[in-house]
Amino acid sequence: MKELKILLVLVVIVGVTYWGIEPLAHSIMHKHVEEAIHKYNLPDYEFSDLGGTPPLDGDAAKGKEAFQMFCTSCHGLKAEGINPPMDAKTAAMSFGVVPPDLSNVASYTDEKFLYHFIKDPAKATEFKKISMPPLGLNDEQIADIIAYLKSTAKKVEGEELVKEACGRCHSVKYQKIYAETPPSNLKKYLGKVPPDLSIIMKAKGEHYLVAFINKPQALLPGTAMPRVGLTKEATEDLMKYLEEISDPHKEQRQKVGIIVLAYMLVMVGLTFAWKKKIWKNIH
Amino acid sequence: MEKKGGFVGWLDKRFAVSTLWKVMMSEYYLPKNINFLWSFGVLTMLVFVILVVTGIFVLMYYKPDSHMAFDSVNKTIMMDVAYGWVFRHVHAVAASVMFLVLFVHMGRGIYYGSYKAPREVVWITGFILFVLMAATAFTGYLLPWGQMSYWAAQTITTLFAKIPFIGPDLVIWIRGNYIVEDATLTRFFALHVTLLPALILIFTAVHLYAVRIVGSNNEDGIPMTKEEKKEKGIPFWPVFMAKEYFVMSVFLLFFFFLAFFNYNFAMDPINFQPANYLQTPPHIYPEWYFLAFYEVLRGFFFSQNLGLIAFVLSMFLPLFLPWLDKSPYPYISGKHRPMFKVIWWIFVADFIALTVLGKLPPTGFFAWLGFVTSIIYFIFFVALPIISYIEKKKVASGGGQ
Repeated sequence: MKELKILLVLVVIVGVTYWGIEPLAHSIMHKHVEEAIHKYNLPDYEFSDLGGTPPLDGDAAKGKEAFQMFCTSCHGLKAEGINPPMDAKTAAMSFGVVPPDLSNVASYTDEKFLYHFIKDPAKATEFKKISMPPLGLNDEQIADIIAYLKSTAKKVEGEELVKEACGRCHSVKYQKIYAETPPSNLKKYLGKVPPDLSIIMKAKGEHYLVAFINKPQALLPGTAMPRVGLTKEATEDLMKYLEEISDPHKEQRQKVGIIVLAYMLVMVGLTFAWKKKIWKNIH
Repeated sequence: MEKKGGFVGWLDKRFAVSTLWKVMMSEYYLPKNINFLWSFGVLTMLVFVILVVTGIFVLMYYKPDSHMAFDSVNKTIMMDVAYGWVFRHVHAVAASVMFLVLFVHMGRGIYYGSYKAPREVVWITGFILFVLMAATAFTGYLLPWGQMSYWAAQTITTLFAKIPFIGPDLVIWIRGNYIVEDATLTRFFALHVTLLPALILIFTAVHLYAVRIVGSNNEDGIPMTKEEKKEKGIPFWPVFMAKEYFVMSVFLLFFFFLAFFNYNFAMDPINFQPANYLQTPPHIYPEWYFLAFYEVLRGFFFSQNLGLIAFVLSMFLPLFLPWLDKSPYPYISGKHRPMFKVIWWIFVADFIALTVLGKLPPTGFFAWLGFVTSIIYFIFFVALPIISYIEKKKVASGGGQ
């Protein structure tokens, strides 16, 4: 079987080349990513580098009072009818970015992270330029506020989640979602306009995104992306959504792919039979 | 001439279609001692047809404008147009696979000595087709206007700056701007969809014409006249094509597997980020089929000028193979040339090594490895005249096999 031997040589040559330019090259080019993931054991949903927290069993009623005293000068909480003190444009001009509405923040942000965040926003987010200052609240007040935020939060998924958790800075323009903060303010605040998320899953892949969102500075030192403390559940839901919008025809592609391959398989059989017939009397 | 009635007879009188059919197909004879590697010529035509057909469809929605190009590809074609993604996937994968088929087709030509007299014109037109195909691929790769599109074009066009005297002006002339910008995109687009495919069609015709004159080579490099082939060979139609269809089917099975299920090698993830002239990606590399030549360019890491000269040589030396290697029968086919076989397999291994190294960061050990493999690339072209000289002497002294 001379032909099969030649085919084998060809397959080996193509296989070795493919292995070299795809898995091997990527493993070498993305070495620093894997090293960072390994070093910080990402994704770390305990946010263990921030240390422990006191017991977070606050009182929601007291939290509501504290919230009104310390938070409402910048933040709204629409679920309770508290509107933000400024419209988005003015807020963006004053703070660099629109402060989030806090109605549902506790549903997708880890409570331990929330504690550290309220204690020292710049440290928890690892973003030094963050507009929110440390408020000097004591542990009890923080625990109460967290309890209050948890009492108002309803679970958000998919598009709502991306709008609430990412949409103040990131656009998803293929879904007609535009960043709440105008791009010119973002550029001033962050140094650049953050990437659009429409097909970010194709560009970066889930493996990278999960680790990056969990601890941006570990994977991209110096990035303007703050750590936002998403919970495991929220991260997974976000990945599912980003995957769906970046590749909306995945199911169709797999279905059509199988049909095409099956058709070609039949063609291989038919053409082989015809070749046999024509070549019967040759040799 | 046999008499035919009806439409075919009418057309025959005016257009000699049956004669054309005989010359091109049914009475064009091939030798019997050829293997399936001889099918790769027709495969390149198949892939070219796939590229043209899918190209026309993506062209219907593509917008050659630096503000719209990225979204017209990634949103309009990939998401909005019904089955637009099929055409984009198939077009991208076919462009990549075209080079796989071309490399096999050229490699077969080199191994079995198909470039030798009297097939020089076949070799030269084939080489021109390879260069045209490379230009088409390069211009086409800019069109999605992603990060890698942009930076590959930026890097490669910068190379022209090294040409003495006219270099810097030439770069601006090619780009139509000081950097790769909208003007570059529109001109690359124009070349990609008009001039280059037209030239490919013309040279394909000349290539096929030349093959019909001199005929196919064979595994053993035995020179055969047309009469000998007619007696001992097989007609192109239907015998050769019967096998060709089988090879095509197997090829397409593999091809569609790639297009539907394993396409990342042809659609780099980085290219799903829009072009940004302020942000250089951490690694810039061309598509895999240019990696070997790119590595020769980088291989001489201590001197850019030397690298550029080596790069140009590495691409154009193969053109001169018919004159570098003139050994006569029985030293035509590599199958019967022990010394040639050694340098051939070194060359193949080296080409793979260059391709792999071309994607890796050129630092430390890889830089030196790149230098060594770049040198080895040229050994083939230096050794060939020497081997052929020794073989010629053997034949003159009544040797041979």
